[in-house]
Amino acid sequence: MWRRLLRNGLGSGSIVLVLGLLAFGLPAFDRSLDSTQAVPAGVPYDVGGGVTVIPPPGALLDLTQTRPGDDRGSVLFLVGPIRYAVVVQPFDGGLTDAADKLRRKIVANRGYQVVGREADIDTANGELRGLAGGYSAPGRGGRYAVFLAGERSIEVTVSGTDPQLSAARPAIDASTRSITFRGTE
Amino acid sequence: MSAIPGDGGNEVLPTPEGALSRGALLMPAFWVLTLLLAVGMVRMAVFLRESITVYPVATVVAVALFALYAVPFWIFVGGLDFMEREPPTLLVTAFAWGALVATAVAIPGSGALHNVLAKLISPEFATAWGAAIVGPTVEETVKVLGVFAIVLVAGAQVNSPLDGVVYGAMVGLGFQVAEDVVFAVNAVAVEGQGDRVSPVVITFFLRGFLAGLWSHTLFGALAGFGVGYLVVRTDRRLSWRIGVAALAFTGSWACHFLWNTPILLDGPVEGALGVLLILVVKGIPPLLLIAYVVRRAHEREAEYYVAQLARLNDPEIATEAELRALGSGTRRAAAREHAHGRAGMRGRHAVRKLQRAQAHLAVSLSRANGDGETAAVARFSREVRAQRARLVRLGHPEARAPEEKGGTVRSVFTLAGAAGIVMMVVWAAISALGGR
Repeated sequence: MWRRLLRNGLGSGSIVLVLGLLAFGLPAFDRSLDSTQAVPAGVPYDVGGGVTVIPPPGALLDLTQTRPGDDRGSVLFLVGPIRYAVVVQPFDGGLTDAADKLRRKIVANRGYQVVGREADIDTANGELRGLAGGYSAPGRGGRYAVFLAGERSIEVTVSGTDPQLSAARPAIDASTRSITFRGTE
Repeated sequence: MSAIPGDGGNEVLPTPEGALSRGALLMPAFWVLTLLLAVGMVRMAVFLRESITVYPVATVVAVALFALYAVPFWIFVGGLDFMEREPPTLLVTAFAWGALVATAVAIPGSGALHNVLAKLISPEFATAWGAAIVGPTVEETVKVLGVFAIVLVAGAQVNSPLDGVVYGAMVGLGFQVAEDVVFAVNAVAVEGQGDRVSPVVITFFLRGFLAGLWSHTLFGALAGFGVGYLVVRTDRRLSWRIGVAALAFTGSWACHFLWNTPILLDGPVEGALGVLLILVVKGIPPLLLIAYVVRRAHEREAEYYVAQLARLNDPEIATEAELRALGSGTRRAAAREHAHGRAGMRGRHAVRKLQRAQAHLAVSLSRANGDGETAAVARFSREVRAQRARLVRLGHPEARAPEEKGGTVRSVFTLAGAAGIVMMVVWAAISALGGR
């Protein structure tokens, strides 16, 4: 009986151990690795879905939030404390629909509100036209922009405190205007 | 412990009467399993509460659709072991492990492993190959642990490799349903158009029908076979059994890997035809492989139980033709169909009850283990004779399947026809979804 209990206990313990390794050990190992990587200045970065962007000077790539794919993709740059994200995904609506969708995603976060009016925006080469606006969040502010390219939407969000955003705005605006759609093969 | 004909091994280890309840509460595994299920349930409840708060209609529709989707799978998997059905409590436990424990562990584990690939190799590699590597590695592991947990709690109930198949498939089914609900709700969130049902319906077709046949239920069945073999075939060397279990697990991993791999996604054929090609190349071979393994496990277990009845040498219990029919699901069904043709619905019903009683009797005989007429043996012998008398009254005394003429050719044509119909349905679904 005691031997059976011991074997059963050891078996149960082994199951819990493996589950623990997967549920807690892997995330702990993930956290122990550096999640950022420097990106070359001035070189277009492939976001995915045929979209490229030139990162702001000194930006670091967040490897955990960057997933470039063939028909979609996402990238997160860390510009000091500012988070600058570009998300490309298939979309079959118009520009106002895409802006509407992005606004809904933003306000779906607790405490987030869209503020001010949207304005037109275009990229430096005049290829893409979009809409841009701002939002507020507890202790933070943010800006967003959305473009359409082919059958894809390109969503840009920037978040940080107001002073941080003001300081970094020229570099990030220039980066956003560098977005290019080269199409898909 | 008895040997099966032609094998000389322990294809089946008969379950002692009352084995499920005996001493289970004293076992640490019981309490560990209970605790893990409770934690998983809380996590799933939190997810569903948050989803219902934001997307009430879509969440309810997703849960309802995939719950309905699980019903035919449940009936099929639960009925795989005709001769000795598994206790419903354990089937529910296996399903709950997949739906609650496996998903609760797989979500953080998979996310972390994806990140590790992106950090150690590159985000491009993680995007392209992450699903193929992470999915099988984390998910197949947590699922097969569920079968081991069932073995620890009620080891006597896992008395043939086929039982491992049943529990493995049930864990996989639970995982598949829960994961699909999560995917459906996420699709609604990603679409960003509010509480809409269309992303749920698209997810239902994509993950339920296009990917559903060669998904977790199938992979879990293969890994479960390995656990069943490891536990039951004690006549073989431990190293051999571990090797078979490892091979089965590797097989489930490889099937899952093949399905998730990006190979062929950029193939030469585009649109609906391209998707169909992917399904045929990535889905059909694992489906056939695993179907073969399951069929062999089923046949070998059936041989064992049929031999129990054959040993009685009593045609009132089972004739030669009935013994032949009893060992195969197809022949059992043919015997019922034959009875329907000769004696109508009552004939079909009577044959079904006779086959059920014969199966119960065979299991009772195996559990009696040469102890003569136990209460269960006596009870099911009476039941068999009662059903036999009923069949005699109906003018159809023998529950045999008709002679098979050109059976193999007919089976091949039937299989090809079924495959053709499935392909047409899949084609229609792909076309309706725009070939995505």
